[in-house]
Amino acid sequence: MWLLAAIGYGCAFDLADINYSPTTFQDADKSEQSFTLTKKVSLKDTPCWYLRELQPLIRWQLVGSVAQGDVFRSKNQTLTLECSNIYEAYLVVREGYLVGFYLPVQQGFVKLAEPVHLPLKQ
Amino acid sequence: MVKALRVIVLCLFAFTLAACASGLQFSQVNPSLTPQNPELGRIFFYRPSFVGAALRPDVVLNGRIVGEAAAQGFFYVDRPPGTYEVVTSTEVERKVSFVLDKGQTRFVRFSVSWGFFVGHVYGDLVNEVMGKYEIQACKYTGPQPGGSGNESTKTQ
Repeated sequence: MWLLAAIGYGCAFDLADINYSPTTFQDADKSEQSFTLTKKVSLKDTPCWYLRELQPLIRWQLVGSVAQGDVFRSKNQTLTLECSNIYEAYLVVREGYLVGFYLPVQQGFVKLAEPVHLPLKQ
Repeated sequence: MVKALRVIVLCLFAFTLAACASGLQFSQVNPSLTPQNPELGRIFFYRPSFVGAALRPDVVLNGRIVGEAAAQGFFYVDRPPGTYEVVTSTEVERKVSFVLDKGQTRFVRFSVSWGFFVGHVYGDLVNEVMGKYEIQACKYTGPQPGGSGNESTKTQ
């Protein structure tokens, strides 16, 4: 019984979570700035290593900014980050590179270890 | 021995069928994807697979129970714009969080993953194209076909 309890307690069902830092979001009022990607971008270096793919020809609209870059959201591609729980995420882009993700519910920033170049088409 | 095994398998099969949702199909209910009130957004909850049908955890939206994650079932609620967190609990809690805009439709799909003693039912946010496609085979488990679904809410 104690052994079962110990094994159950040791299981990592709820241990993996996303590390994010609190950030201040500045709303972009009625911005028309947007971009699409000219080819698919695969993101492997996400929290907990769940693969995410940014599809080409999907429009990403500027919705605001955080200290780390501009924040883009798409109405046609739902983007989430996943560990034990799942979080809706927006792209944070700086000078043509994806530098991380903005979590709108948690108001947090998730940094990518290495920025990813985005093949942008304005 | 073989006979007993057959009876057990049949019982398990019957139990699984009984645990699946048994309402009208999505196409029969044919709900609008957007709420009548343009100030609200609509959240669809669905679970397309029958795997782990015996597990029917409550679906808790921002601390209030709004329905059950029944296998092959769906329901929906209308809510004002804001941030939302959906929680399902079996032996652990699973959460999915997202933003709902005015007039927006969101789809939360439930799946089952392996657990230590029982499976884990977890929600995922899927895009509208995927949601509209997968929900077609699901059966309505909400309170009033065509209604807002809000009447079913009860405090946890």
